[in-house]
Formats: sequence, C-alpha cells, structure tokens
Amino acid sequence: MNHRVEARLADVLLYGSMAAALIFFYVPIFTLIAFSFQEGRYLTLPFEGFSLKWYGELFRSAPALNALWNSTIIALVATLAATTIGTMAAIVAVRYRFIGKRAFQGLSGAPLAFPQLLLGIVLLLWFSVLGRWFGFNTGIVTAIIGHVVYIAPFAMVIVAVQVYNFDPVLEDAARDCGAGTWDVYRYVTIPILWPGIFSAAIFSFLLSWGNFYLTYSLAGSTRTIPTFIFSGIAIGSSPLYPAIAAVVFVPGILLVILANRMRQRG
Amino acid sequence: MDGEITRSWRDPELFVKALPSVLLQTTCFLAPLLMTFILTFQRTRDFQLRWTWDLATWTEIFSKPHYWTILGHTLFMAIACVIVCIVLALPIAYGLATRFKAYENEIKTLITFAFITDATLKTFGWVLFLDKKGGANFLLSYIGFPPETVAFLFTDWATLLGMVYNLLPFAIFTIYLSIDNIDRSLILAAYDAGASKFRAHWEVTLPLCKPGIWAGSVLIFLLGVGVFLEPKVLGGGKSPMSAELIRQTFETRVNWPLGAALTLVLMIVAVFIVLLFTRVAGMKRAAT
Repeated sequence: MNHRVEARLADVLLYGSMAAALIFFYVPIFTLIAFSFQEGRYLTLPFEGFSLKWYGELFRSAPALNALWNSTIIALVATLAATTIGTMAAIVAVRYRFIGKRAFQGLSGAPLAFPQLLLGIVLLLWFSVLGRWFGFNTGIVTAIIGHVVYIAPFAMVIVAVQVYNFDPVLEDAARDCGAGTWDVYRYVTIPILWPGIFSAAIFSFLLSWGNFYLTYSLAGSTRTIPTFIFSGIAIGSSPLYPAIAAVVFVPGILLVILANRMRQRG
Repeated sequence: MDGEITRSWRDPELFVKALPSVLLQTTCFLAPLLMTFILTFQRTRDFQLRWTWDLATWTEIFSKPHYWTILGHTLFMAIACVIVCIVLALPIAYGLATRFKAYENEIKTLITFAFITDATLKTFGWVLFLDKKGGANFLLSYIGFPPETVAFLFTDWATLLGMVYNLLPFAIFTIYLSIDNIDRSLILAAYDAGASKFRAHWEVTLPLCKPGIWAGSVLIFLLGVGVFLEPKVLGGGKSPMSAELIRQTFETRVNWPLGAALTLVLMIVAVFIVLLFTRVAGMKRAAT
C-alpha cells in the first residue's frame, strides 16, 4: 500500500474515532442539559418553549434538596476516610518491601474489580446480620462505610502513581538533617504527594457523590441524588431530573478540571 | 524508580499505614463475602432468617435451568461489551497517546468527567435521547428521516449501548497507559526495517499494548456481569440479567440464602472465566 494513502487513512481513523468518542460520551450529558431548559411537563421533543421554570421548581422541592444534602454529607465523610486510608495504603504498596506485599496489594485493591451492585448486596447481608445481632439499621453510616470500601482502592491507585514517581532520597535527606518521622511527613512526604492526594480526594468525592449502587443497597430509607432519580424513573420521568442533572454537572466538571491542573503541577 | 525499603511487620512505619486498609477490607469485604457463603446454607421463613445448615438453596439453584439461562445471557452481554469496548478503545487510546499530544489534557479531562459523573443521570440521559420522541429521532427527522427511525430503546441493544458507554473509559485508560509506556524507538526501528505504518502497528504496537488490553478486558468483564442500571433503565427490564435477578430475590422474594448463592455463583463463574482465558492466553504464549 502507498505510504501516503496509508498515512491519510490512519489520520481519518484516529481523528474520526476520537471525534466520535467525544460525541458519544457527551450525547446523554447534552441531552439532559437541553431538556433542563424546556418548559412543558413532558420530556419529549419538540419543546413547548424554553424557560428556567424547572430550576426554580428544583430549589423549592424539599425531597430533591434533601437528596442533594444527603449526597454531599455522605461524599464529604467518605472522601476524607477513603483518601486517608488510600494514601497510607499507596505508600505501603509502592514504597515498602515486606512479607505478604502481594496479598496486601490484592486485598487493598480487590473491590476495584468487584461489581458495585454485588458489593452492595454482600455488604447489605453483612450489615443486616450484624444489625440483627447488635440492634442497628442500615442508614447513612452503613452507606458511608460501603462507599469507603469501594473508593479507598481508587484513591490508593491514584496516589500510588505519585508515590512511584517520588524519590525517597528526599526523605532520607530530611532525616539526615535531623527531622523526626513526623516532620518528614509534614514537610517532605505530604507536600510532594499532595497533587496525587488532592486529585484522589476529588475523584473520591465525585465517585461517592454520584454513587448509585452502594447507596441503593446500604442507605436504608435515606435518599441521595442517584437513588432519588432512580426511584423516580421507576414511576415516570419528571421534568425536574434534567434540571438536577445540569446542577450536578457544574461542580463535577469544575472539580475534574481542578484535579487535572493539580496533577500537572505535581 | 527503585526506592523500595525493606520493612518488617513489627515496624510501626509499615504497620500503622497498612492497618486501616487491611482492617477495612477484611471487616467490610472479606468477612461479608464469607458471611454470604455461610448464608447460602440457611433458609428464610416468614421473612426471617433461620439458621438451618442445609443444602436446600444449592439444590434449588442446580435444579432450575431458569437461573442458568439468565446467567448465560449475562455472560454473553458482558463478553459482547468487552469486545465492543476494546475495538472502540484501541484507536481512541492510540490517538490519545500519539497523535493528540497538544490536547491530551483537555481530552483526558473530558473523558474523565463523562466517566465519573452520576451513572443514573447519564443512563437517564440516554433514555431521553433514544426515546420515540427523544433527541435522536428529533434530529434525524430534521434532516429528513422518517419519524421513529431510532426504535431500539428497551431492547438488549440499548442495554449494550449503556454498558459500553459506562465501561468504555476503563478500556481507554488501561490501553492508553500501556501505549504511553511503549518505547518509541521500537516503532521507529520497525519503520527503519521497512515496515509500513499498519505493519508496524500490527506487529509492534499491538503486541506491546497487550497488557493494557488484557487489564481493560478483565475489568470490563467483571464489572459488566454486575450491571443493573442499564438493563433496568435502558433495557426496560424485559430480559433480566443476573444482577436484577439477585436484587429481586432480595426485594420481592426476601430470600436471602438464594440471593447470596446467586451472587456467589455469578462471581465464581466470572472469575473462573477470567482464569480460563488467562490460562489459554498463557499457553499460547508458551507455544510460540
């Protein structure tokens, strides 16, 4: 085959597939944004008119705001716990050589490759049996635990990349200058790992904020945004949902951009 | 970078940092899995769990082909999803790693955002797009297609579309990482030796990004057998997959042992298939 024809073909394939992929990824997102501005009650095209009516309705809807609040609380606590556990695990998994290292890596990362719905069910069984023995019900706390189990491995992987690129000589240098263990962490290790820790925290937050499966199984009667919408779709779609989606997308994209900036600097 | 430091478990440096993760995953991952296994030998009566220790649940599972048909359908959908994802991800990941260096970060940000936002919302967005009076048909009729050209919502095709949509980023990122790690000079050497672009791609790049393809396939397969939102929302719940069956045994039938057993069967069969493929791929490598 002629080299020039071949190069042209490769270009068409690569540019074409990238463009197609980006369009594909953004089809449902832009569809939701478009529908959020429609005026009528029914989610069908053509629109009856454009308005911001449903955004107004959203901010007057107590269940929707309550779901948003629950999502945020769960995500904040889960982020803090998952990032801390994940960061420590990442240092252990990359930096140290010890007996049972492979087992540690496998155990700490296993939930990554476990379907979330099944993880939710396995944990639901666990908490139900424990709950019967010790007298508690599933609710916001069990949901948070479920989120941490699932998200800590993600945080570990993200921070691990940062640990991998970090020269341990810097820590030794600080130690040689007389810094104690805690000082080394505070002034050397954590600042150097910070971009990784920070982006891990952002991804943890978003994973937890938008998590459906674990919340669905573990939150008892507490509703978060994803379960609120899921339970609504079962009854029939409401014009509120696209507006909720548009509101949820804004902090999402901003946080992803922020995480990316931080990581580039690191 | 080789900066591994040998530590013993008695060293607090290691112990303190490893403990939270080990504790979390043993008490909230391994122990629940064990409990799930134990529960399969119990029974539920009057919505209450009875500790009976018998094999009633397992005999039920092995005597009813219904469960296995659904399992087969689930595995088929997951494998179809893996194939579609890998085929689509290869040119995307390759382009991202080699051609679009200038916009690499922007593209990665866009894909990450699409990947990480609320799956329920995105799936619902697809419903709005594919609906009879949704976005796709509106746009198509605008350029002259007959009304209701797109009519595959609430079929297996829509389920597959949703699965590919939600899982494709895993393939893109794993393959991207492996291509990014390939030593450029190997490809240049292939060119020097007179290989055409496609030949170099076929004989150098593709074999070298096998680990990425493999990792992506395993992840997508394992996550794909557990999908629930896509068949329920996009597939209309018409041809149930394992995850939905499992949910139902808990919700409507309140049969915990059966649900626990079905969960284990699904995971064991899925892991077994992964091991089988690993074995076959390993044998092929040994033969050549």
